[in-house]
Amino acid sequence: MNAATDTIRFENVSKFYGEVLGVNRITLRLEPGVTTLVGPNGSGKTTLMNLMTGLVQPSRGEVSVLGLKPSNATEFFCNVGYCAQFDSFPRGLTGFQFVLDSLMLFGMSDEDAHGLAVEALERVQLDAAAAHRKIAGYSKGMRQKVRLAQAVAHHPRVLVLDEPLNGLDPMARAESLALFQELGRQGMHVVISSHILDEVDRVSDRVVLITGGYLIAQGNIHEVRQEVRDKPMQLLVRCDSPELLASKMFAVNHCVEARLHADGRGVFVRTGDVDQFYRILNEIAVEGLVKIEAVAPFDDNANAIYQYLIGSEGGTV
Amino acid sequence: MGVIALDRLEVRLGGRTVLNGLTGELRGRAIGLLGPNGAGKSTLINTLLGFHEPSAGGAKVLGLDVRTDRMRIRESVGYMPENDSFIGNMNGVRFVRYMAELAGLPPAAALERAHEALFYVGLGEVRYRKIRTYSLGMKQLIKLAQALAHGPKLLILDEPTNGLDPMARQRMVQLIKEVRKEGSMHMLISSHLLRDIDETCDEVLILNKGRIAAISNIEEERRSHRNFIEMEMTGSTEAFAEKMRALGCECASFAGGRVKVVMPDALSARDLYVTAAETGVEIRRIQQRRDSLEDIFLRAMEYEGGRVEHVSLPA
Amino acid sequence: MSVFLHDYRPYDGVTTSLWRRPLVLARYGMAEAWGSKITTILFIAALLPCVVELVMIYLADNPVARMLVLRGSPVLVINESFFVNVLETQCWFALVLAAWIAPRLVSFDLGDNALPILLSHPISRFGYVLGKFIALAWSLSYVTWMPVLVLLVYQCYASPEPWAMAHLGLAFGIVVGSLLWIVVLALIGLAVSSWVKWRVIATGAMFAVVFVPAGVGGITDAILRTHWGLLLNVPVVMTEIWRRLLGAPPLMSPQLELPNTAMAVVLLLAGLACIAVLNARIRAREVVRG
Repeated sequence: MNAATDTIRFENVSKFYGEVLGVNRITLRLEPGVTTLVGPNGSGKTTLMNLMTGLVQPSRGEVSVLGLKPSNATEFFCNVGYCAQFDSFPRGLTGFQFVLDSLMLFGMSDEDAHGLAVEALERVQLDAAAAHRKIAGYSKGMRQKVRLAQAVAHHPRVLVLDEPLNGLDPMARAESLALFQELGRQGMHVVISSHILDEVDRVSDRVVLITGGYLIAQGNIHEVRQEVRDKPMQLLVRCDSPELLASKMFAVNHCVEARLHADGRGVFVRTGDVDQFYRILNEIAVEGLVKIEAVAPFDDNANAIYQYLIGSEGGTV
Repeated sequence: MGVIALDRLEVRLGGRTVLNGLTGELRGRAIGLLGPNGAGKSTLINTLLGFHEPSAGGAKVLGLDVRTDRMRIRESVGYMPENDSFIGNMNGVRFVRYMAELAGLPPAAALERAHEALFYVGLGEVRYRKIRTYSLGMKQLIKLAQALAHGPKLLILDEPTNGLDPMARQRMVQLIKEVRKEGSMHMLISSHLLRDIDETCDEVLILNKGRIAAISNIEEERRSHRNFIEMEMTGSTEAFAEKMRALGCECASFAGGRVKVVMPDALSARDLYVTAAETGVEIRRIQQRRDSLEDIFLRAMEYEGGRVEHVSLPA
Repeated sequence: MSVFLHDYRPYDGVTTSLWRRPLVLARYGMAEAWGSKITTILFIAALLPCVVELVMIYLADNPVARMLVLRGSPVLVINESFFVNVLETQCWFALVLAAWIAPRLVSFDLGDNALPILLSHPISRFGYVLGKFIALAWSLSYVTWMPVLVLLVYQCYASPEPWAMAHLGLAFGIVVGSLLWIVVLALIGLAVSSWVKWRVIATGAMFAVVFVPAGVGGITDAILRTHWGLLLNVPVVMTEIWRRLLGAPPLMSPQLELPNTAMAVVLLLAGLACIAVLNARIRAREVVRG
């Protein structure tokens, strides 16, 4: 497998809109699977996606998607599907017609396009009856599904989705996430931008954090977490006497910081050595002086990474 | 007196029956409104606000009838719509002031309350700029500020965290929790993000295809189900599971070191640790699985045709 | 030292009565309308003819001044016809002002979808339209019956007694005529602004709505050889109405005369059409069929 034809590459890419910064000196390599772009609004996610789908050209640097360059338009666009964030459609079309028209742009025959359109709408679980009603009458979630259908219909190898779960109800979210995971497993590049970090956790193979136009971190969540060296691992232990537990932890010298939970029935513990910590915790539990109810890592997830790296200064008011 | 009381409410729009015989009473401090797209959530909110006339049946908000006391209902309600809804040419203060005066406050009080509301939601100097220059997060906040300014008794929030980045979303959820704690307002929150509803609401109304699929009190749900336990551990989970079963528990082990246990009342978490020490495994994560909102929701959706399912209702 | 916590507190003060809410709308509407420099410019331009007419009245009542300025030009008579012309001029300026102001009142709200939030407050759709109507009508009053009445008062003051007594009915005619025009203009203005999305197009559309039927009426007249097409000609209809209200002699020959009822019906229909448009467009939620 030739590496170049299997990855999405950004080599020192910058994009400026006149004076306004889009992204600045981004170098990325994305393997197949599900990648999530995370960052505050206005951080450059949409610019990054536009660069990936060839809708804008970089001011500097090179973008190559599966070895193809956006300048090679016909081949490029056959392989890329884009589901934009914005909620506008041509007037007067039904959902089915919209997907069909998008497919016809690829130059395929009527029957092929028809078949693919039906398949795409089934895949996103848009009701057949609803597909033949005008888009103007759709709810927000249905419009989202139509956009998604249009993006996947032509079986692209790269799928770029800008906030695809916006407006979808919980079941549709779960179904879409399952769909994305499946597509990722099949070897597609699925690039999603999302604000809902616990979903990001569940679905992504890797995460790209971007803020203010700069790339802050990329990789698997747990790897990224381990790299954030200046913050020791934090866990939440719920028990009946948190002070006792904290004092015991301090006594064995593996606890960097302990903070009582507001409700008085738990303690946040920061530790530099996770393995030792667990061993000691198990021993304390067996001892029985402290009744332990729950133990969970508190910051090994996207939300915590976001807080550490981007935090509240990252988002501008 | 319930916050919202529905009595065989039926609403027809554009020739379709969107709400089909809703009956129930909601009393919670913060009520979550859930349901798949097209279930009728927006229509319900619009009907409660008086934008749609019920075609049959009735509804009461804070004891006031939706058909006859529309204006009084609107006086006691603050509404934060899902979509963009503002007057771009005004600045933040003016807009909130305008809305407060429309709600009945005299001009001087309206100005004071407007600034208070803006301070409370966290809009600083930005309040003197025209609203059309605002970012998405600020637009959400200004909608919330205008809903709060006149001191309503019921706050209706439609997708309050829509489009917000993680930090703004956290701030919004925090605000909602504070408002709920303050205690003078009830809230009706409609959202697709179960996590937000779980964190903020104590009662949920789940709609499906125009009917009530479930009315459920989350607090009660959380207090039960104490003995379902989920764990993650290192080491041989099978041996551990065997031992637990020998002690009288139901125990199942999964890939990745995950184990689920249902314990009889006699046993406690310590026994798990003791067993772990005995079988040479190390417990890394342990939590009581509560019937989370997701399960309630999925269960409600399984009832085709929308039979009303009272999972548990406060007496 | 004390620490002050600024948490949310509920409101427990007095509230204004329900019928005052449209007035809140009107007040903010006036601020919106007059917040633009162009409005002020149009207003000043609209008053310029009044200044000229003021001078004319002065000259008419002052033989000495007239002699000096006009040096024996034809006599300037201040009578019903004079005031009809004054009213007409002001009312056409009112049209221009309305075409500018009405979109400012409505399009800002509709453009940003403010109606759901607005109507979630204790104000009905009728109250909303009423509030905007009051703002618009008040603004138009500034350039119609108010300045003309001032001129009338001045004329009564400047001229000898019998004139005032004989022409007191003019006051009634001026006010009623203006109000009629204001109502028609305001309804058309609000309806057109609620129909059309962009303000500039709404302004143009207002002129179109007033003048295009006139053209259509003229064409039908020419084809069918009647004079009923004149009913569609708003300028002509209004001038006729003003002439009759003020008691001035008619302009047209008797066979072209339009009966009162016909004109009233036309105006009523126009009003109802506008109300229908407003009813359709001023909604908190749109229902899309199919």
